[in-house]
Amino acid sequence: MTHHKPYEPKDFAGKLAKAFLRSPLTIVLGIFLLAIGYLALSIMPREENPQMVVSGSTVIVALPGASAAEIEKVIVRPLERKLKEVKGVENISGMAMDNVGIVNAAFFIGEEKEGSNLKVYDKIMQNSGMFPKGAMNPIIKPLDIDVDIPVVSVAFYSNNPNMSKTELYDKVKDIQHQINGLANVAVTEIKGGNKHQFNIEVDINKLSGYNLSMGQIVQAVQSLSYSVPAIKNRSQDNKIVMVGVKNAIENEKDVGNIIVAQYMDSPIYLNQIATVSGSYDIQNFKSVSISVQDKEGKFTPLQEQVTLSVSKLQGTNAVVIANAVKSELESYKESLKKNGISFVITRNDGERANEAVNELVFHLLLSIVIIAILLVFVLGWRESLIVTFTVPAILAITLFTAYLTGQTINRITLFAFLLSLGLLVDAAIIVIENIHRHYHSIESQHEDVDTLMIKATDEIGPPTNIATLAIIMTMVPMAFVGQMMGQFMKPIPANVPVALIASLFVAYIFTPYLAVRMLKKPDHSKGSH
Amino acid sequence: MFKKFENAVLAGIQSPIQRKMILFGTLVAFIFSILMIAPTKMVLAKMLPGKNNDTFTIYANLANGSSISQTKQVADCIITFVQQEKEVTDTEVFLGMGSPLDFAGLIKGSHFKNSENVAEIVLNLTKKHHREEPSYLMVQRMRPLVQKNCESLYADTVITFVEPPAGPPVLAAIVAEIYGRDAEGIRKLAARVSDVFKNTKGLVDVDIMQDEIYDTYEIIVDSTKVVRSGVSIKQLNDILYLAFEGMEIAVKNSDIYNDQVPIYLSLSEESKRFTKKDLNAVEIKLSSLKLMNNIGMMIPITELIHIIPKKSNPMIMSKNLHQMTNVMAETDMVSQVYPLMEARDVILNSFSDTYNIEKIGLFNLRLTEKSTMKVYELIWDGEMEVTLDTFVELGAAFIAALILIFLLMVIYYKSYTLSGIILLGSFLSIIGVIVGHFIMDIFSADTFFLTATSLIGFIALIGISSRNSLLLIDFTKSLMSEKGLHKAEAIAYATATRAKPIFLTAAAIILASTLLAGDAVFGGLGVALIFGTVAAVISSLVIVPVLLYMSDLEKHFHFHEKKAVSVFEP
Repeated sequence: MTHHKPYEPKDFAGKLAKAFLRSPLTIVLGIFLLAIGYLALSIMPREENPQMVVSGSTVIVALPGASAAEIEKVIVRPLERKLKEVKGVENISGMAMDNVGIVNAAFFIGEEKEGSNLKVYDKIMQNSGMFPKGAMNPIIKPLDIDVDIPVVSVAFYSNNPNMSKTELYDKVKDIQHQINGLANVAVTEIKGGNKHQFNIEVDINKLSGYNLSMGQIVQAVQSLSYSVPAIKNRSQDNKIVMVGVKNAIENEKDVGNIIVAQYMDSPIYLNQIATVSGSYDIQNFKSVSISVQDKEGKFTPLQEQVTLSVSKLQGTNAVVIANAVKSELESYKESLKKNGISFVITRNDGERANEAVNELVFHLLLSIVIIAILLVFVLGWRESLIVTFTVPAILAITLFTAYLTGQTINRITLFAFLLSLGLLVDAAIIVIENIHRHYHSIESQHEDVDTLMIKATDEIGPPTNIATLAIIMTMVPMAFVGQMMGQFMKPIPANVPVALIASLFVAYIFTPYLAVRMLKKPDHSKGSH
Repeated sequence: MFKKFENAVLAGIQSPIQRKMILFGTLVAFIFSILMIAPTKMVLAKMLPGKNNDTFTIYANLANGSSISQTKQVADCIITFVQQEKEVTDTEVFLGMGSPLDFAGLIKGSHFKNSENVAEIVLNLTKKHHREEPSYLMVQRMRPLVQKNCESLYADTVITFVEPPAGPPVLAAIVAEIYGRDAEGIRKLAARVSDVFKNTKGLVDVDIMQDEIYDTYEIIVDSTKVVRSGVSIKQLNDILYLAFEGMEIAVKNSDIYNDQVPIYLSLSEESKRFTKKDLNAVEIKLSSLKLMNNIGMMIPITELIHIIPKKSNPMIMSKNLHQMTNVMAETDMVSQVYPLMEARDVILNSFSDTYNIEKIGLFNLRLTEKSTMKVYELIWDGEMEVTLDTFVELGAAFIAALILIFLLMVIYYKSYTLSGIILLGSFLSIIGVIVGHFIMDIFSADTFFLTATSLIGFIALIGISSRNSLLLIDFTKSLMSEKGLHKAEAIAYATATRAKPIFLTAAAIILASTLLAGDAVFGGLGVALIFGTVAAVISSLVIVPVLLYMSDLEKHFHFHEKKAVSVFEP
């Protein structure tokens, strides 16, 4: 077993150990690894759940006046047949209702989004002739998880009971525009609220009393609400003179004063037969309300509110966007307060993601500490310190690789790390244990430290390599699991093998490097176990 | 300690009785753990368990044709219960539309909601760290109360509780797709299936995805009279629409407002309401509407038409070009597998009065109506389908992992027997996984399910425990070849020496997994790793040495020249 010549490593484990054992670059490499890991941790987009590639498109075709059965025959069925021709479609579902047909094509999970949307669009456009006469243009709505699902939603409500129904909406609409201008915000949407509208509510008794028809009112109003661009003309000295025609209708009074008909030479004004008001859209049946629990534990009564929701662009950081929206809102807080408007953030996925991620990072650190303590008892504190150092280095490499491959930090990625944590200290433990054993064995007490390190590492190389390869092998088939679940769990087969391979390299390079500097060769005269 | 263990192993592997006892004990444990899953249901399987969320949504669906004020009444009823909850920070009611879209809503079609009979109520709860009651238990507690009091306000109202899914979203836990060729028959069958679901324990939020049929009135136009009176049908349609629905007849551009301001015309609220829902009231109201013909004469609309009552046209749904309807149900804190089987049994037994039932595929049914010979199919979808697919695919991944490891070992050792021993040793960790779930189930308040993540943990375990066996065999090999030890001594010495790193790595895995075990979704993975690792350690330190001793190691290690050593065998 004893070699007197310099030990020649057979496995790449020993070769790595030998190359880095006395290299001045090893420490630089270590610092570099930790730095890129920290960099990746701070700049990678964070989200709660991993992004799933779900593609699908909904085609909506309206045919006014057709019954559900007609729609099924002339719109839904032909459309379904055409969409069936598209490659990659898993399910086609059709809904035929009175006046409108809706067909939805859901692609297999993992089918690429842009391509799938294009295929559906292409198919419909190529066959636009198949729709019946009188059908409206098809509306094709692609499914876009990132853009469709808001990351932040804010409810604005008024504490001022006298505020008109449209005022709140107008205020929020202004804020919406500002928030839409923030970086990486994709879509902002307003739910609830009422828009301005001039309402002409006709009294049916007066209508029949004056012997009028609704059609006459329509004609009268339309003839006065016409607007034209200003007329441009030139004067004799070649100056431009603009002449504009002012709109005949400016406010609800103008509407009320429209003459609907002449009756016995006296005009009938619109406000004689109808109530004309400049108020809100009375035909809108939708409404949104909110109730908040105050500090005393009492709920405020339900009151009208307007919800503004914000979604992000794909691959951007929900945490950053949520914070940007939050600070933007803070800047309006004072002016809103003056108007008696309060707001509550009713959804903050950024915060949720950040909490989930931070909690798991904390768990990760806790696990590392627990394992380090365990090692102190079994191996001694120096050995424990060495193994503990390898963990952040391995995680740093894995994180950086994940960043390069365009992954995000989410619950599943971190669970993959937690899962691999138990596995990735293995290589270092095995190496350090073997070094420890050689250090304390009587046979090798005459060898110099460097050779001992390289030999100990080299000896354990082949079985450790093959054992790590075995674990990687178990992860490989998991990458091929399809469906939603496969997509959802993808970070596990994507990151665990990387962590394991990194654990081998780190164990072979840094464990002997640190051991040679930190461990003291025991004095065998005292004896050992 | 070290020496003791070495001697124990040495004695153990050399005594035939102990060898047999160990192997027999393993076999019994293995059979016992398999029994725990399949027939006795001591360990229940589910794709993913419930997750503690900071928010959930209540959907209220009234019968089609219900008005917004009726919907509001139901929503208000729900809100009175919501406002009794201490842990709710705020709640939002969305009448006539869906709430801002989330993962669950995306699949459930919340973004398409645009009618008077729907409402969504969002509940935001206090942060889960400061809350004792998990959201799923809160839902379980509120559900019967809310449904009992608010669903009864109007017939056919369905109130469902939608929680953010722990994993991928699905339409519902249980979806029965009923395919057929005529809408009437599908409707009848769907109603029966829904009744079965309602009476199955563990199933809640039962809903049929179909439009209720309600009373409407149809205006039949007398075309001869229309032509003779000098008006047109378009004019007639427009006036009717204007009067009751109202229309934006013009717009006004505005500098001050954010949108164009429409000018909207309709009858006033008081004058357009029918006195009641019957034919007479409709006719009376229409009689006061008049049309002006081409020579300026006023013609009452009722002169040109007559009105007949009729039923509404329900929506026709199809999936993959076949007409169908979904019957959906959620599970109340139980796995969907067992209620589904129960419901299926009830269907098999009780539907035979009107249908001939055949089984197709794994669980699906084909029903032929005896009187009409019309054929219907009942296909299970939803979480059940996803679960089945996931378990099958993960199972396949597991088998693939076993094969890959076996091939790797064969390449490394060039021996089928040694590779087989490693594989067998790894496979035995399944005992630990199943028993671990059983133990956790006893100690946790609600059911602890064997989930997809448990399977993932199990797959990872295969690798971990094969690593243990591998290190052991490798060391035995080097002891035999380099130190010339006898087989039994080498195995015993190797086992004892390798025990320390094996224990260490196992402890590392167990400690790292304890934090996983606390998570709702990944609890299964944590438990699988903790108990599986324990089983793996036992298997590689007890069972693998026995198996090694029983195999012809010299041959498998390819020690041709050292064969002579075995002469010392007792």
